[in-house]
Amino acid sequence: MSNEQLAMGNDQGLLVGRLVRLVAVNSEKDAEAIARWDVDSEYMRQLSSRAQLPSQAKKIKEYIEKEQIDDPRTIAFAVRTLADDRMIGFVAFDGIDWPHSAAFVAIGIGDPAYRGNGYGTDAMRVMLRYGFQELNLYRVQLNTFSYNERAVKSYLKAGFVSEGLQRGMLLRDGQRWDYIYMGLLRDEWLTLTNEP
Amino acid sequence: MNNILFSGKSVRLTAANGDGDAEIVARWSRDTEYHRLSDDDPAYPQSTKQAKAWLERDDDRGFRFLIRTLSDQRLIGGVGLWIQNWAQGEAWVGIGIGERDCWGNGYGTDAMQLIVRYAFTELNLRRVSLGVFARNARAIRSYEKAGFRREGLVRGDCRRDGQRWDTVFMGILREEWEAMNK
Repeated sequence: MSNEQLAMGNDQGLLVGRLVRLVAVNSEKDAEAIARWDVDSEYMRQLSSRAQLPSQAKKIKEYIEKEQIDDPRTIAFAVRTLADDRMIGFVAFDGIDWPHSAAFVAIGIGDPAYRGNGYGTDAMRVMLRYGFQELNLYRVQLNTFSYNERAVKSYLKAGFVSEGLQRGMLLRDGQRWDYIYMGLLRDEWLTLTNEP
Repeated sequence: MNNILFSGKSVRLTAANGDGDAEIVARWSRDTEYHRLSDDDPAYPQSTKQAKAWLERDDDRGFRFLIRTLSDQRLIGGVGLWIQNWAQGEAWVGIGIGERDCWGNGYGTDAMQLIVRYAFTELNLRRVSLGVFARNARAIRSYEKAGFRREGLVRGDCRRDGQRWDTVFMGILREEWEAMNK
């Protein structure tokens, strides 16, 4: 581990990747960044199938704080670059089904300058290590959309397996798109990463 | 209806049901001996309203049940699992039989066997832990019957009535429970 990483307080390196590290969400500052990203309609379409509705920074802040304090089924991190500590996105386990050791993962790289450069894949790899090694999860799953080819490629790189799809579930700009299910099991991840 | 998760040989585990239950639970809180056996908190009698609020608390880490007899649906005690840390798959269990005439009749052991089965088969936990006063021989015998093993002892951590009491820690692992219940 580099001295810079140590200086940033990640003495174990658990949440440090090659390009990014995962840190606690700062409900004040990060809410403002998230509110800015939320009006980027291309970004929002990659993130969610819901009809877009920009949120106030204040509401986002309240939501983050509620989640951090009251919700044992969600663990969310902000994604920051190692190079210049810039907040570029988020990654979260949500709806953690503890009795079954399974969780959904969600990720978004909100800063467009950092899309398509491996930052998201790196953040996902760090999150998976956290999920399997620290939370002792057995399964991590996600949903994505067939028009989000960059995301699908990134998830495959991180080890996810395509498990199925719902055909033509989404209507975007007059075209039908599939809803894709992907998942990754602990044993597959252990083999992939040579982790003990 | 398959009630195997919640029905044992002599008791069943149920939800709290209305003010009547809270009144009974509040009555137990005025029983000093029951209190002395339960924990090391200062004795603090509960009002019915406080008992009701406690019974109705709802969260992802606490799984609370009331214990009722199978024969006459009488409310006799409570049992609950508390999960500090889901990632480790461990819960602490606490149990109390508040109705004194039901002590020493196997109701507590039956309820404990039910909650341990619930912990391992429904919550998929790896381990269940408990603490008990060393002087509470009846409880320790009951826990051993339910499959718990003694794991350690903390000397004199509770001060009561001018004496120091030791606490015994006990635990049961999933593998041990599975071997017992083949």
